[in-house]
Amino acid sequence: MKLRQSLTLSLLIGISINSAVCIAQPTSMNLQQNKNPMDIGISALFATGAASKGNSTITNLQGGGHDPSKIGFTLQNLELTLGGAVDPFFDAQTNIIMLLDDEGEAILEIEEAYLLTKKLPAGLQIKAGQFYTEFGRQNKLHPHSWAFVDQPIVLSRLLGGDGLRSQGARVSWLSPLPWYAEIFVGIQNAKGATGNSFLSAGHGHDDHADEGAEEETKEYPINGSEDFLYSARWLNGFDFSESVSANLGFSGVWGPNANGIEAEKDLRTAIYGVDLYLKWQAEKSSRGFPFVSWHSEYLYRNYEEIEEDVFTRKDSGWFSQFSYGFKPGWVAGLRLEMADSNEEDEHAINGDERFRTALNLTWLPTEFSKIRLQYNYDDADHVGEAVHLLWLQFEYNLGSHAAHVF
Amino acid sequence: MKKILFLLVLTLVSLPTWAKVNVITTTSDLAALVTEIGVDKVSVTSLTKGTRDPHYAQAKPSMIRKVFRADLLVVIGAEMEVGWLPALLRSSRNSKVSPGNTGYLDVSEFIELKGQISVPVTRDMGDVHAAGNPHYWLDPANGILMAKAITERLAKLDANHTQFYQDNFNKFKDKLARKILQWKADLQHFNGQKIIAYHTSLLYLAGAFNFDVRGYVEPKPGLSPSASHLNQLIKTIKAESIRYLLMEPYYETRSAQLLKRKSEINYIVIPQSVGAKANIKTYFDLFDEIVSALKAVEK
Repeated sequence: MKLRQSLTLSLLIGISINSAVCIAQPTSMNLQQNKNPMDIGISALFATGAASKGNSTITNLQGGGHDPSKIGFTLQNLELTLGGAVDPFFDAQTNIIMLLDDEGEAILEIEEAYLLTKKLPAGLQIKAGQFYTEFGRQNKLHPHSWAFVDQPIVLSRLLGGDGLRSQGARVSWLSPLPWYAEIFVGIQNAKGATGNSFLSAGHGHDDHADEGAEEETKEYPINGSEDFLYSARWLNGFDFSESVSANLGFSGVWGPNANGIEAEKDLRTAIYGVDLYLKWQAEKSSRGFPFVSWHSEYLYRNYEEIEEDVFTRKDSGWFSQFSYGFKPGWVAGLRLEMADSNEEDEHAINGDERFRTALNLTWLPTEFSKIRLQYNYDDADHVGEAVHLLWLQFEYNLGSHAAHVF
Repeated sequence: MKKILFLLVLTLVSLPTWAKVNVITTTSDLAALVTEIGVDKVSVTSLTKGTRDPHYAQAKPSMIRKVFRADLLVVIGAEMEVGWLPALLRSSRNSKVSPGNTGYLDVSEFIELKGQISVPVTRDMGDVHAAGNPHYWLDPANGILMAKAITERLAKLDANHTQFYQDNFNKFKDKLARKILQWKADLQHFNGQKIIAYHTSLLYLAGAFNFDVRGYVEPKPGLSPSASHLNQLIKTIKAESIRYLLMEPYYETRSAQLLKRKSEINYIVIPQSVGAKANIKTYFDLFDEIVSALKAVEK
């Protein structure tokens, strides 16, 4: 396994070096760029941190698989992006992530690898492969696009440290309504490391409540359509004026979980969410500044567990974050978030009542680099006292141009 | 019930427009040119407004809907829209207007671009486009080439009105040729004038009216000016007695004010696009305004 990883790694590095050479060459005479058959880019995200408590505490607090989670230095995310038009019928996108675990061992992840149709009629589009489940706004964002160094607590808890993603397919339909309204319906495997809340094999920072399930998932029998993960999302977009636009989305995802295997009971999970994104960009803006954005999500989960009887654990949480791009290249951010559960054990790492505030300041010298300083005030019941954390993050992007997401 | 009525009315109102060629452009300048040629046979919408730098636009959801319905998508090209158009095209699922199809018109293919770089480009150069500088609409002579490309593409998509488009193009071309002579006469005293520009975007305007660009406020394209660079620039301005600094309305004026205080250079805000000011509605208005902005300071 280790050998295979390092082989793949060296192969990947080989590819990226070769392609970098390819990019550099044809610039001398071409009138038009975009002659490369695909876009290639690499994005690296590093962080370093200090905290008022030791690693044993903060590793549990930083629940995201790509969060910086220790005092000292972390390679959060080294992402290789390959994408472009496959042929007149399909586009494709591949994101391969490498990161280093606490032991310095390289971990390789296929973050996304999917086909996207181009020629379906009636506003339909199919995405197939490995991809992020269409759920809310934040779940789909890759770590280098986050407005903060870490993942919101409620997402780590309900959708998983690596975000909810799996292999499958989804259909989307661009409705003919007089505003932007798109409906996504998906089916994906419920089994796998990134199917947290469902048939996850346990990955990243585990909730001890899930530890029992960890061993069992490998045995979970897949018998039919009821053993998959189903998702639905309704996303709306509005332009209130030339300067103010908003997105409002409603999401749901349903599937089996592994808690009932021993008792031979079919236990289910359902997660619901609502997300709102509002952005103001000045009428006269330079490099996209100044702007103010406000992004909030609320998530709710029904998670069936078994003790003596079937018991539905109910978890919920929200986050609300503001970004203020006050001058070209400079963004100040504030995030408030809460998460809670009806779990009675107040020492449950992922089931306690928790409140966190983050403040940050980001400098983007160009579109291709970023330096971010962030302070977290983290008040978790399972710790028993507030923890202060300070992160410094650094990012670089080489190769293809990063997309300007709304 | 009210909503249903509203939807019905909306459908009825939008019915007649289906007969027109639905053109979406990435910038307001392209939209203005399409209007000159297509007049009432097309409906035109620009995805961005002239008050912003189109390079930094974002793929907003409302744009997805517009591109989804387009018959023709007209773009500046030369990497101007590289940050947002590919993502928008992917979401818009309209293969008619994707690159390589008749419904996709990259106007830069018809223009001789300035600033093409013959050495390998590195991002150490700042925001440099290997394909050339994409701000070519600011040379009014390029307006003719742009309009010609649009005319030919409209004729291809809507062959029934070929003559109509051609006639409009001829009218536009003649008027623009006349106006160019007039603008050049108006700016006679700027001929050979040494200037400082904020960004490399004014290269074409400088070429058209023969300004001599001696330096830029940005140390490298797309980078915010540093104190040391501004100090260097002040030396240049003084040494060469440069009198004018030209900049687009969306840039910060602090640097320009600093330069003005320390060197007595005049800064002139140049509307760079149709729509940059409310009264700039056509391609002709754009240069009328630029010329009058320049004439206003010349005393």
